[in-house]
Amino acid sequence: MRCSLLFLIPFVSLIAAGTPRSQGAQTVWSGLVIAENVGQPQPVPPELTRIEGSLKRFFGYSEFKVIGQSEKTLRTGQEDWLATSKFFALHVDARGESEAGYVLNLKLYKEKELLLETDAKLSKRSPLVIKGPQVGSGQLVLVLVIQ
Amino acid sequence: MKTFEEKWTAWLDGQLSGRELSEFEASLPDKAAAEAQKADAMKLGALLKRELGALELTNEQFFNHELHGKILRESRMPSGEREARTWWTIPRLLWAGTASLAVFLVFTVFVVRDKNPAQESPYLTQILNARVDPVVSPNATVSMFKAKQDRVTILWTEGLQSLPADYAAK
Repeated sequence: MRCSLLFLIPFVSLIAAGTPRSQGAQTVWSGLVIAENVGQPQPVPPELTRIEGSLKRFFGYSEFKVIGQSEKTLRTGQEDWLATSKFFALHVDARGESEAGYVLNLKLYKEKELLLETDAKLSKRSPLVIKGPQVGSGQLVLVLVIQ
Repeated sequence: MKTFEEKWTAWLDGQLSGRELSEFEASLPDKAAAEAQKADAMKLGALLKRELGALELTNEQFFNHELHGKILRESRMPSGEREARTWWTIPRLLWAGTASLAVFLVFTVFVVRDKNPAQESPYLTQILNARVDPVVSPNATVSMFKAKQDRVTILWTEGLQSLPADYAAK
């Protein structure tokens, strides 16, 4: 009896360590961002702070300005929403929840014209950045982050 | 009905009286010898009372006495009972904790890490597929990579139709 208790301790530890935590409702921030090189860049919006280094390194621009955004709290993992600017729209369709995040279908529209479509598994710890078309001297960048 | 021995003891203790006393003394074969025995018994009693009176213990003696009694009681306890009290000793608890930790580490290092060594971490965003409208952007290409420093996954497009600066409006 006591020996079995002794062996029970490691197994309880393993079970506790291996039990997946429930994901619960999470909020996804979706943004349409214009990246540009300007003389006096504005500070990056707070939603982009954690990926500021990667954005500057890969895109080579000094300023990142949000022209359209949306925040959506996902409860069932089946929601869909739209982040829009004057000319662009990003339609996000959540198609289920996985262990680490959500499966999303993304469509970028220029007015009513579909420019780009992609499917992705968006992880809570890993933002998604999509390089869009060139706009003037800048670049349209799409960002999705689970907050 | 009292036996002779009971009456004898009561007589020695001076507890017989009246008719019972006179009848008992009349039944004695040698009253003088009996009186002598009674006197000896009384002397012995007085001596014992004087010499073996209750001893007053000092604090130290009382503590030692209690401790000694406890040790004696525990040494007489059955071995199984003693073991039941002391099985979870500190060293055993330490061993149990160490064993648990070792099993956990083995599981973490060898089982979890080697579960899918070739697969990407499920905690990084993965791009499953990407399509560009070939009519709008016929020369467009897509590629994807990850910036592990910030855990960013990037879908990189080239050759999308360029747009005038007006499209940057909010």
